[in-house]
Amino acid sequence: MFKTRKQREGFKEFLLVLPFIIIIAIFCYYPLYGWIYAFFDYKPPQALTPDKFVGLKWFKSMVENPVKVKQILGVLRNTFAISGLSLLFSWFPMMFAVFLNEIKCVPFKKFVQTVTTIPNFISWVLVFSIAYSVLNSTGVVNTILLNLHVIDRPIDFLKSTSHIYFKQWLWLTWKNAGWAAIMYIAAITGIDEQMIEAARVDGANRMQIIRHITIPSILPTYFVIVMLNLANFLTNGMEQFYVFQNSFNKEYIQVLDLYVYNLAMGSGGYSLSVAVSILKTIVSIILLTLTNGFSKLVRGEGFI
Amino acid sequence: MKKRVVALLLSLTMVAAMLAGCGNNAASTDKTSTANTSTDTAKTDNGDSSASSDDLLVVEVYDEAANYQGTQTGWFAKVVKDRFNIELNIIAPQVAGDAVYQTRTATGNLGDIVLLDPGHFVDCVNAGLIKDISGEIKNCSNLMEFDKQITTYNSGISTTGAVYGIPCEMTNTSPTSFSDDVIYSSPMLRWDLYSAVGAPDIADLDGLLDTIKLIQDANPTNENGDPAYGFSLWPDWDNNDGMIGIANVVQLTTWYGEKIKGAAILTKDDKFIPLTDKNGTYYKMLKFLWKANQMGLVDPDSGSQNWDAACAKMSAGQVYTFWYSWQVGFWNTQERLADGKGMIFIPVKDQLYYTTSDTYYGSGRIFGVGSGVEGEKYDRIMKFLDWYASPEGVTFQHCGIEGFNYSVGADGKYTIMNDNALMDNLPVPEEYGGAGYSDGNNAINQWIVSSISTNPNTGEPYGNTHWSSWKEATATKTKNEWSARFGVAEPVDWMKANNALLVRPSVSVSLPTEDADITVIRNQVGQEVKDASWKMIFASSEAEFDSMWDTMVTNLDSLGFQDLYKFDVDKYTIELDAMKAAK
Repeated sequence: MFKTRKQREGFKEFLLVLPFIIIIAIFCYYPLYGWIYAFFDYKPPQALTPDKFVGLKWFKSMVENPVKVKQILGVLRNTFAISGLSLLFSWFPMMFAVFLNEIKCVPFKKFVQTVTTIPNFISWVLVFSIAYSVLNSTGVVNTILLNLHVIDRPIDFLKSTSHIYFKQWLWLTWKNAGWAAIMYIAAITGIDEQMIEAARVDGANRMQIIRHITIPSILPTYFVIVMLNLANFLTNGMEQFYVFQNSFNKEYIQVLDLYVYNLAMGSGGYSLSVAVSILKTIVSIILLTLTNGFSKLVRGEGFI
Repeated sequence: MKKRVVALLLSLTMVAAMLAGCGNNAASTDKTSTANTSTDTAKTDNGDSSASSDDLLVVEVYDEAANYQGTQTGWFAKVVKDRFNIELNIIAPQVAGDAVYQTRTATGNLGDIVLLDPGHFVDCVNAGLIKDISGEIKNCSNLMEFDKQITTYNSGISTTGAVYGIPCEMTNTSPTSFSDDVIYSSPMLRWDLYSAVGAPDIADLDGLLDTIKLIQDANPTNENGDPAYGFSLWPDWDNNDGMIGIANVVQLTTWYGEKIKGAAILTKDDKFIPLTDKNGTYYKMLKFLWKANQMGLVDPDSGSQNWDAACAKMSAGQVYTFWYSWQVGFWNTQERLADGKGMIFIPVKDQLYYTTSDTYYGSGRIFGVGSGVEGEKYDRIMKFLDWYASPEGVTFQHCGIEGFNYSVGADGKYTIMNDNALMDNLPVPEEYGGAGYSDGNNAINQWIVSSISTNPNTGEPYGNTHWSSWKEATATKTKNEWSARFGVAEPVDWMKANNALLVRPSVSVSLPTEDADITVIRNQVGQEVKDASWKMIFASSEAEFDSMWDTMVTNLDSLGFQDLYKFDVDKYTIELDAMKAAK
């Protein structure tokens, strides 16, 4: 069957990756078939028939008048603002890991790590119910402020739109920082102990070790993560904003994923929402290519 | 070399396991959708039908009314199992999300029994997902009691005499009568607090706000010291059922004889005006709530709290105005009524209350049988549906368990027992399994026969608030003082006596379903109206309120509001014509 040993080896190696190819095909490529809905007037339960084919109608309808353009631009602004903010603060989990690593009292270190990691496993729905009970007009915060006579009527935290991006970033960080730090903690563990010992012999103090050894050693990890995040720039997840959205703040926290969801699940605008998500995918591919090019320029190597 | 062989073997095992896994999954998904059919066919093939009816049958109920997903449990499950050996597996899009409708219709099997909103039902009939039950239904004597209503409904969707759907909440009264003592929406205040501020005559909405203001100023907190407000609103229901705007406000518009139909408002003189008309009641009631907020009467959490939080406030006495008839269920216990603390209708002189007559032809949602149901299973499902509409079945649904929820007197009439069974989830008698009453309550959550229908066994309506025994028991302080003040026995009597009740006849017409374009417009228009409305209620000044309204109207026009308005006027003119004909 195989003419040379090399071919046979090649086939065996192919068999090794085959399972993964199948998984990718089923879960990543097969769903692309769903894009077909963007080109039809689809309304369940009717099947897609050729007479419902409408070409690019739904793509055009996104930008057919100034109000809709404004809406899309607003959604993009929110997406960019929120993703931009997390990108800007993407060093936070890394620094958190670095400082966590400096804690010498092991029980305390484990305690901090556990406490900061647990929120990652709390669903957004629960996070919101915590937020609601703490921040509503009779919640803990308002009650304390009222009793201290700092304010004379409750503050509507959940309806307010001031610093909304930053507040949402805070929630996200509270939930994710500990989890994101795990990767860096692993990277720190991988640093050669000899380097640190040598630095100590040379008289470096703690901050100097952090600055000249720890951080430079985990920077490559940091860059890879940042670049992966960049490719996901348009995906900031919809759950968080779905639970926090209300009519008062929606203008500022409706991100692209949530917009797609509101369109489709709100009352069945499936075709339009598929069209929006196709555009999202295309923009994401462009972003990925750009960051890869940028990475090649700066670091001399791409990551794809 | 040895390592390679091992690796190869391992990877092969993995592939095999994966494929096997997939295969199993596919098979099991198939099973969940067709398991019942296949087991049943097997049974029919055996030709042993008498034995097979002893087998447990799991019936999937796709139920757009249900708030619970999963197998029916508790006493109602036992009632059904004892009679039919059927287990109900409820699929609830309200729990699972609307996407389940899309995916299940795509597979061609929505459920064995389906309970759908009217638009979805017609779509599903057209897509061939619903079975024609015209043959079998003739043998169902209880359903045939409603032959006229069922035929009327089905003639609207089929010209060939096929029967697809059974409407919900039908009555055995008449299409033009109005039997209830209260209507769905009217202003209700706490009787003791209203009396304490002098029980003033209320001329209009401003007068109503002044009264509520007096009440709130006199009682800034409830008995536990938690802040209380005149109004507490919730956004969960906004834009449901093709409605546009804040659900609470949409309901308030019925105080002035108008009814919002999608993007249009049906006025009392049988005309349609756009929702965005400044002379319409949507604007009027929105402004009313804005004024209320200016006076400090609106709960600041309105708009960000959910339905559960709002209910908790109603039960805790933190809300001084109710406007849905069911809201009193959260407050009016027999004890509070006797203390004069009950919530009750307070008339506002310039109002005209809108209501529809008894839902003789059904209230909207439709029961049907899935097109995949065949053979003996079909038989058993039809028998179940027939029982569901029978006096025995309806009594279980509306009155509960004899000897636990009600007792039968010497005259055959019912008297209520354990009236807190639902509220406090009391354990039911051992013969019904002993679990909590509320936990085991009928999770289908919708009835073929309305609670206002007359129970042939008692001659009184099924619903317990209409029993003469209940009326006697609740003729206590709240009710007596109220009657003395307004000179009539029941709220609806006052409305009738003062020409303040507009009753639209109940009709059964099939309305056109909308295409993908209108669906998208309705969604986007709905979101815009909803968001703008909430902001308007909390606007800081009248000028800001009006500028928000104008911006909203401009935005709506760009989103295609005019097309939607035209579609809705055409759609509901059909219904209006039928109403005129029924008068």
